[in-house]
Amino acid sequence: MATITVNGAKREVQAPGDTPLLYVLRNELLLTGPQFGCGLAQCGACSVLIDGKEVRSCITALSEVGHDQEITTLEGLPGRWAKQKGLPAEEAKNTLHPVQQAWIEEQTPQCGFCQNGMMIKATELLESNPNPTLEQIKAAYTTSGVSPILCRCATYKAVIESVQHAAAIMARGR
Amino acid sequence: MATRNPKSIDVFGATLTRRQFVKTSGILAVGVSMVGTSALRAETPKATVAKNSLDPSPASSWLEIHPDNTVTIRTGKNDFGQGSVYTSYRQIVAEELSMPFDAITTVVTGSTDQTPDGGGSFGFLNDGTPNLRKVAAYTHQALLDLAATKLGVAKDKLTVKDGVVSGGGKSISYGDLIKGQQLNLTIPVRGDLTNIIGLNVEGNPPMKPVSEYTVIGKSFPSSAIQAKVSAKADWATDVRLPGMLHGRMVHPKTLGSTLASVGKLDKTKYPNSQVIVKGNLVGVVAPSEWEAIQAAQQLAGDTKWTDWKGLPGNAKLYQYLRNEADWKSTPVMKSGATRGDATATLASAKKKLSATYQLSYMKHAPIGPTMAVGDVKPDGMVHIHTHNQNPQSLRGEIAKMLGITIDKVVVHIYAGPGHYGRSNGGNAGAEDEAVILSQAVGKPVRVQWMRADDIQWSTQSPASFSDVELAVDDKGKLAAYQIDHYMPPMQDDRPVGAVLAGLPTMPAPDVHGDFVTSTMNNISDEWLYAETANVIERGHGTFQVGQKASPLAVGLRDHSMRTPGQFQQNFPRELAISEAAALAGADAIQFRIDNLKEERAIGVLKAVREASGWDTRPSPASGATTTGKKAVRGRGVSLMLRDGTYWACVCRIAVTPETGVIKVEKCTLAVDPGVVINPTHLKRQVEGGAMMGISIALLEEVVIDESGVTQDDWNSYPILTMADIPEIKVELIHNPKVGKYGGGSEAANALAAPAIAAAFHDATGKAIRRLPMKPAYALAALKA
Repeated sequence: MATITVNGAKREVQAPGDTPLLYVLRNELLLTGPQFGCGLAQCGACSVLIDGKEVRSCITALSEVGHDQEITTLEGLPGRWAKQKGLPAEEAKNTLHPVQQAWIEEQTPQCGFCQNGMMIKATELLESNPNPTLEQIKAAYTTSGVSPILCRCATYKAVIESVQHAAAIMARGR
Repeated sequence: MATRNPKSIDVFGATLTRRQFVKTSGILAVGVSMVGTSALRAETPKATVAKNSLDPSPASSWLEIHPDNTVTIRTGKNDFGQGSVYTSYRQIVAEELSMPFDAITTVVTGSTDQTPDGGGSFGFLNDGTPNLRKVAAYTHQALLDLAATKLGVAKDKLTVKDGVVSGGGKSISYGDLIKGQQLNLTIPVRGDLTNIIGLNVEGNPPMKPVSEYTVIGKSFPSSAIQAKVSAKADWATDVRLPGMLHGRMVHPKTLGSTLASVGKLDKTKYPNSQVIVKGNLVGVVAPSEWEAIQAAQQLAGDTKWTDWKGLPGNAKLYQYLRNEADWKSTPVMKSGATRGDATATLASAKKKLSATYQLSYMKHAPIGPTMAVGDVKPDGMVHIHTHNQNPQSLRGEIAKMLGITIDKVVVHIYAGPGHYGRSNGGNAGAEDEAVILSQAVGKPVRVQWMRADDIQWSTQSPASFSDVELAVDDKGKLAAYQIDHYMPPMQDDRPVGAVLAGLPTMPAPDVHGDFVTSTMNNISDEWLYAETANVIERGHGTFQVGQKASPLAVGLRDHSMRTPGQFQQNFPRELAISEAAALAGADAIQFRIDNLKEERAIGVLKAVREASGWDTRPSPASGATTTGKKAVRGRGVSLMLRDGTYWACVCRIAVTPETGVIKVEKCTLAVDPGVVINPTHLKRQVEGGAMMGISIALLEEVVIDESGVTQDDWNSYPILTMADIPEIKVELIHNPKVGKYGGGSEAANALAAPAIAAAFHDATGKAIRRLPMKPAYALAALKA
């Protein structure tokens, strides 16, 4: 049995230590934001944040994750934002992360299967660079991680516009 | 309005009946009735009234109006990312009923026990008359009839706004009209529920004039996007049933290998795993997903298969298709545009082009590999939980595989990754395998293909080649045009697990197959250059490569993929037209305009010329060169008509002659669908489709050796990344005088390739007539 910290809560899990985090999150904790895309860290559909860094959960063994490391999944983005902004509980309950808000306002996804990784990567980027240039956005999605984050529906233009929109929402604070 | 009996009235061929008065609520349920010749009826399987289908004849299939003036709609078409069922369909129904968009509160899609019409996730707008539009139009008329009686006002004196009927100083809402009653509207329908097209609503109810539209034309957001973005969507990948096991497949070593010996599972490492073998189908199930994955890998390493080398391999593929494939058994198709005497004109012409254009096999390559949960119950009921473009067809295929009737099969539909056509005939790969494994173990089994399975064992979009001969006259007109398209069939809907297991399936594509499974190569790229007097267009078909020779009957299975067939025909045509313009010394856009009659086609060309900043001049560009380290630039154009929508595209590229690397710097599209239903969604569809089009134009080629597909991941089958996208500009042309709306989405894929290839010619003076335009093929073209 291992203990991991997911979306702000300590969780005990039964899976053997060599189990990729993706299957622990999806099958044991029923956190289904991260998706199985390739199992090879080549697409980003399974991405989560670990201590703020975008990580491929499909090749990250459970045993590699320290019990005090902070795992954030798509489900945890609103809580992450609420905590960062110190939002009151009532407001936090009804607030999406600015990245999610931007993704809705820009009507970004086509099939949406890759968009978990797109939103996780956007969050990682905007937390360290609140006002990225076009080139910095493109670099984040292609060279910053172990592989590019892939979208077969090729919504890349919508994603760029959504990152810029999310940056504007974050700058406003809501 | 003809009254047949006091309880039944005729509504433009539909029948409105009041079954009873009820004390609570009330509903207007719109059902269907079968019409057509007795032969058509005989073709319609009893399936249409199978007990777990939505019974189509009496009631409640398509559309329900509730007493609170809200509406539920149901469609067999699932959303595959286009968003149309959650945006356009709600707008279309709201418009025909004169209700607000938000009144359409519930959209039910796909699941075979909850939707009426079957059909596939393609042609959502069906050239302006999707089933639900007609259903809504019939319903609107029926409601007006009810209101006329209730208010005592003639029908033609009634108006409707926001679901409230008014006339003669009185008014009543739809909800109040139907409150306390149970009404049935039975509408005429024909077709076959489980074939690829499904059921079609018949007849011609009056439709609302475009000039009165208030809901269509606005950018309403998709409710599906909200759910997906906030991690609240029901994905097929999330389905967990009690007692469910995880399954992984051990597919054969080659596309023709039979099982020699099954490996031995290491029970000390994988104590809870179980091997299932049926014919050449091998799978592993385990309670834990990670154990199933590892056990399947271990078993695969220990399982022996026969060798097979029945494919030509990439190096010889074109030569094989050209010289060895059987093009004689399948009748040659001619297009309706064939006219004049192209042969004689070509023989005497001075300015001529004779060229061959080649396209590769391509993968649909969904971002998530195919998966399904199969659940074969002790009572014989079979449930499949998945994401599929044609659930009713899948239902028929599973029933056939198991030798049961379709009322024993239910397909439950959830969100999932786009398939781009791969499952439009009912299966993407994992569905039948999940059922076979579930039947073997008596528990629900979730089969998830790994990335390598999905690249190596799925169907692909077929390779093709086309021979073009054309001539231009002294006035710069296209004097003669002849094209011969050669392509294997593209609709092998046999479930591959059933094939491997030796269970019954539909036949493989053959000369005498039905319209979908035939090897015939129809002309699907509509000829547009109406000024040309001499035209020959022919389509030549053959069998799937390696399929007949494969002891498994597998080989290279093909399947339609976005703009199927038309992409393979439009690329050679549009590139050849650009080459013809160069031959005539004319500008590529002006040459097209000069050879067109259709105003909408000319309109999109003028729009794309304007929006792209096109510089009118002949190709190649003045600085065109085939050598050097410095990038040279060019621009090209393409034109297409698909599903009632006119498309034009300009791509500007930079190509480095020394490396052959092509970079698209700007991509501009002009789109005239007639009426634009939802501008934001159409624009997003076009942007994505156009970029997927650049991906297939530059990068995508299935690589085969003599045994199968050698690629197994995203590194070996690369697709476009964000770094590769150009500046994109989309011009939507709202053209209400057309009076209807054409399709969007998939067609955008086809536009980039011929425009990029023409730009390559503009930049270098050399034609590149082969897709994808990989650096190696670009270098070969430069040296030719």
